[in-house]
Amino acid sequence: MRKVLAILRRELVAYFSSPLAYIVMTAFLLLQGYIFYLIVSYLNRPQTMAMTPLRLFFGGTIFFWLFLLFVVPVITMRLIAEERRSGTIETLLTAPVTEGQVITGKFLSALAFYVILWLPTVVYVIILRQHSSVDLGPVAAGYLGVLLLGFLFLGVGTFTSTLTNNQLIAAILAFAAMVALFSVGLIQQLLVSSSALKSVLEYMNLWTQMDDFAKGIVDSRHVVYTLSTGIFFLFLATKSLEVKKWR
Amino acid sequence: MIEVEHLSKTYVDTPVVDDVTFFVPEGQVLGFLGPNGAGKTTTMRMLTAFLPPTAGRVVVAGVDLDADPVGLRRNVGYLPESVPLYPELRVTEYLRFRADVEGVPREKVRENLEYVIDRCLIGDVAGRVIGTLSKGYRQRVGLAGALIHRPPVLILDEPTVGLDPNQIIRIRELIRELGKEHTVILSTHILPEVEQVCERVLIIDHGRIVADGSPEALRTRLVGNPVVVAELRGANGAAVEALAGLPGVLEVRPMDGGLYRIEHETDADPREAIFRLAVERGWVLTGLRQEAASLEDVFVRLTTRDSAGEAGAPDETPPDDAPAAEESASAGEATTGIAHDREEV
Repeated sequence: MRKVLAILRRELVAYFSSPLAYIVMTAFLLLQGYIFYLIVSYLNRPQTMAMTPLRLFFGGTIFFWLFLLFVVPVITMRLIAEERRSGTIETLLTAPVTEGQVITGKFLSALAFYVILWLPTVVYVIILRQHSSVDLGPVAAGYLGVLLLGFLFLGVGTFTSTLTNNQLIAAILAFAAMVALFSVGLIQQLLVSSSALKSVLEYMNLWTQMDDFAKGIVDSRHVVYTLSTGIFFLFLATKSLEVKKWR
Repeated sequence: MIEVEHLSKTYVDTPVVDDVTFFVPEGQVLGFLGPNGAGKTTTMRMLTAFLPPTAGRVVVAGVDLDADPVGLRRNVGYLPESVPLYPELRVTEYLRFRADVEGVPREKVRENLEYVIDRCLIGDVAGRVIGTLSKGYRQRVGLAGALIHRPPVLILDEPTVGLDPNQIIRIRELIRELGKEHTVILSTHILPEVEQVCERVLIIDHGRIVADGSPEALRTRLVGNPVVVAELRGANGAAVEALAGLPGVLEVRPMDGGLYRIEHETDADPREAIFRLAVERGWVLTGLRQEAASLEDVFVRLTTRDSAGEAGAPDETPPDDAPAAEESASAGEATTGIAHDREEV
């Protein structure tokens, strides 16, 4: 556990000593600020229908998804690829740590960064609460959804980062894999018949999952899907690291 | 301390390390010598449980690689050739990270940190960011990282590559010092380094061990006995006989220009006796020099003879000669003048 924490801590230092972290955080906050502005102006219109305003915030707009699909590969791309490029993987894996510990530490640092990214948005909720009544249940569920989605996507990114020693390639692979995961769920809308395939794809639809969370519905199927898929990719990452140690 | 038996590593169909067997007793500094691509790094990576071997057995400090690779890593400090470090960390941050990852007990972290900083002489850069350090300091920080858990075995892959001559001298001194407390395996293709630092040399080529012994023993075995060349004026035909009669002299051969090639036993030095003989007989001694074959010669002979033999054409320039020479040329920058010697060979 101490070894995992050491890896996590070192990785976080690495994040915050590169300009990338600040660029990502700034862009993220600009975008979230804009979405917040949209929500507020929407609410200010007299003809607004009754709906949960924070649904827009949690996955209700395409910006959310676009940004998530871009930002997660940027967070994860360096995890293993950079260690491999610089050769530090050799000192890391000749220390008495297992590949699983390395992957766990790396993944948790990415998750921590992701959480830090979202943390300032709590301010929006506080602001909204001062001017209107906000049901905290859906908000909590929304954040849970964001966390689970991050878990899944960051797991994918961690895996693709083990495949290459080039950060850019790792990021592109992660992006491609995430787009694939995201769009299989959307394909089901094109299927007319209610086949078994359609229901499977429906189960994998991340957009509706996120929407459910934003409505305050914590469906255990969604929790199981994101967690298990994320863990599956982390398992793949561990295996990939065991096999592909040489450069 | 280190037992390696029939160790092999094969990539697809190419054997990189081929049936290597050797033992290193505790406290020895072993030089691992060979041209690039000989299998040095691959062997070291297997000894550090980074790469799994295709076949064979490795036991380091009583821990079997097959049974407990993570446990084996605990007994080994490894400094890879490229000296990989995290440039964004400060030196102490890096060493603390290494201590955590290496599993140094919490209460010993501070003590070990002070020990390695003191040992590797990096006290004056301890607070600096690694990315801003010079190559020489980085090398020492890397070494400090490999030492942080005070492992019984230290494996260093070409620890002096890319350093300037002063830094090389300092690192070699450090390694010699460390050799008193640790069992050290050091790979290099710089031959004087081995002669200066190591008690024993293992020459590896094409994944096989081609020589094993002390630098002196290797030289004697492969180059023959040491030779003194005397230049005598006024000596007559009786000189050969008189010189051959000196203690320790094995063979005397007269050469052109009044030169005498005197082969003698390794532990005897007949130069003083030659001088006295010359005085006694009234010869003028105009030159007297020792012709010790360097380990360099041994190395070239071993690593080229082998490939020439394989090719079945001993007269042809062995294909392996080129990379070896090239390599020593690049190393020459750091070892001052070695490249020139090699070019003559």
